[in-house]
Amino acid sequence: MAVELIGQGLEVLSDDPLVIKNPKNWFHIHSYGGLTPFFKALRDEKLLGTHCTAADCEPRAWLPPRAHCPDCLQPSEWIELPKVGTIYTHTTIQYPGELFKLSTPCPLISVEIEGVCTKPMSYLIEGEPEIGMPIRAWFRTDNPTNTILDLAWMPA
Amino acid sequence: MIKFGTGNLRIPKFEKPVYLVAGGMTDFRKRYPEKSSSELCADALNMAVNENDLKVSMAEFKGLVNFCVYSQFADHFGDQLLAAAKIHDYLGFDPLGNIEIKTGGATGGHAVLAGALAVASGYANLVPVVGWERMDEVPTKVGNSYIASAADKDFESELGWMYASYYALMAQRYIHENHVPRETLAKIAVKNHGYAVSSPFSQNPLRIDIDDVLANAMVSDPLAFLECCVMSTGAATLVLADEEMAFKLTDHPVKLSAIASGTHTLRTADRRDMEILLLPNETPDTYKGYKDTREWPGFSSFLAARMAAYLAYNMAGITDPVEDLDLMETHDAFTISDIQTYEDVGLRPYGQGRDFVDSGDAYLGGRLPTNLSGGLIGTMHAVGATGVFQMIELFWQLQNKWARFHADPKMWERFGKTIPDDIEDLQVPNANRAGAISHAGTGSHVSVAILENV
Repeated sequence: MAVELIGQGLEVLSDDPLVIKNPKNWFHIHSYGGLTPFFKALRDEKLLGTHCTAADCEPRAWLPPRAHCPDCLQPSEWIELPKVGTIYTHTTIQYPGELFKLSTPCPLISVEIEGVCTKPMSYLIEGEPEIGMPIRAWFRTDNPTNTILDLAWMPA
Repeated sequence: MIKFGTGNLRIPKFEKPVYLVAGGMTDFRKRYPEKSSSELCADALNMAVNENDLKVSMAEFKGLVNFCVYSQFADHFGDQLLAAAKIHDYLGFDPLGNIEIKTGGATGGHAVLAGALAVASGYANLVPVVGWERMDEVPTKVGNSYIASAADKDFESELGWMYASYYALMAQRYIHENHVPRETLAKIAVKNHGYAVSSPFSQNPLRIDIDDVLANAMVSDPLAFLECCVMSTGAATLVLADEEMAFKLTDHPVKLSAIASGTHTLRTADRRDMEILLLPNETPDTYKGYKDTREWPGFSSFLAARMAAYLAYNMAGITDPVEDLDLMETHDAFTISDIQTYEDVGLRPYGQGRDFVDSGDAYLGGRLPTNLSGGLIGTMHAVGATGVFQMIELFWQLQNKWARFHADPKMWERFGKTIPDDIEDLQVPNANRAGAISHAGTGSHVSVAILENV
């Protein structure tokens, strides 16, 4: 029986100290689990959040949604949210990390939506961001990424 | 809205006092191919045991240790799961028990917390806390995306793969609510890069001025490169002991009079408006009208830091941190988070954090010099080592040993450097009590520690 090398040898970057280049090339198979309705709804240009109907819990909606109410840990209910909001804060990203799928500069925003207790992070697909600026939701239905990037906002 | 139940604000208590007896570290570099992570940790442990006036040899020390704590942020970076097992073996501590702590950027502070819990409960009486991070195996852009893997991957990471941007969102809101000029933020960058000039351990020492920061390229507005922490490789080791062991090993142990932890939602987005948790130096009148125009904690404040400070100050009997402490190390990952933290830990009331810098309080010679180590902006952020490094710097200050570790030309030569002509003496005269803040995420975990001379 002879054992043969079937993988690739590693590239040497330096001899002293000996430094090698160790490539990685694989993927993760990731499920959105109980938050699937939110991501699927983006395909239909709908913004879904969750809320809890229990009397002692936060009455407003959560976006990002939560399959369980964080106050009572019982299953949440899905509700459709308004597709308008205002910019709570913003930054324009010039130097993103690896894996970023959008062109730069890219204005990131945090969005205030009536009846929602959170201020979800998103981005402005066009225009210059300002705090307090009214915006409306935009959905990437052509060539979707199947990520949170399929929701964006534009000046209202 | 978060409402505290009757048990939530119980003040933590150690059953036995906990002491710091020794500290050691490597220098911190962008790239450190000369040494493996295990070698870096060995260097840090060697410095701790051999250069801190302990009355034992390394062999005797190892014969006394009974538990170890390891501190590393991300297995991604070193590309080695269970790296702590390799390092524990390399340091020769097998078969003693150990645990590895992971709380993001606050891992170092929480590793010290874990070590303190072991000592305070009587579970162990001599515990090395070993922190390190190897951030040099990937390009900086990939490093930033690894760090952003510690944001919510479904709802945040894709939005930039860049933590600086997540802080920039907070910065923009903070500036909007509190009208802080960029010049004040820039002063923090100038200060901490400047203090790093006097540290042989520092990665990014710079003599710069406010204009340099204002002219610097933006990573994500309003944060420029010079306002962001470095990405480092290096290690730091702090040794904890109970009282009997501490005085057996050294004539000058430093007491860890308190260490406490707080948390808040990983996503900044999810922070609901609530009543301000008041520190001992605040009253409801302190914030009369404050919430008329602002939410709390909103995006301007860190509940995790406030929670940790509330517990630690009450545990240590701190009634006014600026008066009661002689120096502090804050987690200056970004200039903006430093200003926010000044408020969270009560150095100024909410909305007035800028005054802590503008008044000169934050500088050597001021009322509470902060980040004389050079901090994360000037000296290091080898994440798992960071909170440990902070407490070692304070430990040396409280022992009046700053000069031994920073101003000896041999220490500089050890790291291939020459002591600079313009080195400053950064020893705080008569330093007796100090605070250290270790911080993760956009405030997902924060620990506050109080160290004091006995």
